[in-house]
Amino acid sequence: MNEREKLLKKLSAAQFAVWELHLYLDTHPCDQNAVALCKKHSEEAEMLRQEYTQKYGALKVDCYNTAEWLSDPWPWDITGSDC
Amino acid sequence: MFSYEKKLQYPVNIKNPNPALAKVIISQYGGPDGELGASLRYLSQRFSMPYPELKGLLTDVGVEELGHLEMIGAIVYQLTRNLSIDEIKKAGFDAYFTDHTTGVYPTAASGAPYSAFSMQVKGDVIADLHEDLAAEQKARVTYDNLLRLIDDPDVRDPIKFLREREVVHFQRFGEGLRIATDKLDSKNFYAFNPSFDKHCNKR
Repeated sequence: MNEREKLLKKLSAAQFAVWELHLYLDTHPCDQNAVALCKKHSEEAEMLRQEYTQKYGALKVDCYNTAEWLSDPWPWDITGSDC
Repeated sequence: MFSYEKKLQYPVNIKNPNPALAKVIISQYGGPDGELGASLRYLSQRFSMPYPELKGLLTDVGVEELGHLEMIGAIVYQLTRNLSIDEIKKAGFDAYFTDHTTGVYPTAASGAPYSAFSMQVKGDVIADLHEDLAAEQKARVTYDNLLRLIDDPDVRDPIKFLREREVVHFQRFGEGLRIATDKLDSKNFYAFNPSFDKHCNKR
């Protein structure tokens, strides 16, 4: 796993925690502990997303990043030793 | 609307192509209990969901299933790269290859193309949520069957992740059903359809 993939994995882990709590809150909207935990992971995910975007380019499209946005790898591309 | 994030929900990095596995895993792309049907089911059912918690739940699970569709597509794509004609023949991938080369097409492992006949949108909260609970279990069984067929840890890892998501979604849909029944007539859940007989809803 290269440095980009390591950071992407950390980001995905933080985003997963946010998502899992978000789904839980759909059916438990009054659980304040879960809201606080979701906020905490959400802040962590946002920091990691900014770090990733600065180092490796955008994850979401915006009007400034056309060439960078189009560049490989796309999510389904294999990024191990044989690429 | 939807916005796209240029990453998978969970990483897929498969070192060794294996068209025999692609042939069975494709079922979770376009098969009767696959991720395409799941996202289409929930994202369509949500329009007639009566309560805010359920509108949120169906939207969120439907969106996550689209992410799972992308993961299954990535798995099939990576399992079928750089194949020789001999490898294609030996793995029994020749029938699929004839129709789709190594493109990713929504079909069941048994060969039937994706069909909306494998899902329903009944417009009734009790009927639709019970279908959703069953759908999650059927997808979980499909992933269990796939795990019985797969040895490669690179492939097992993302499939195990997807299997676990079915279990979590089943749990959330169960809670959604509880929320719905709590709001209905406890002596007769079917006294009215809260999605249609709006005048009967408690004010």
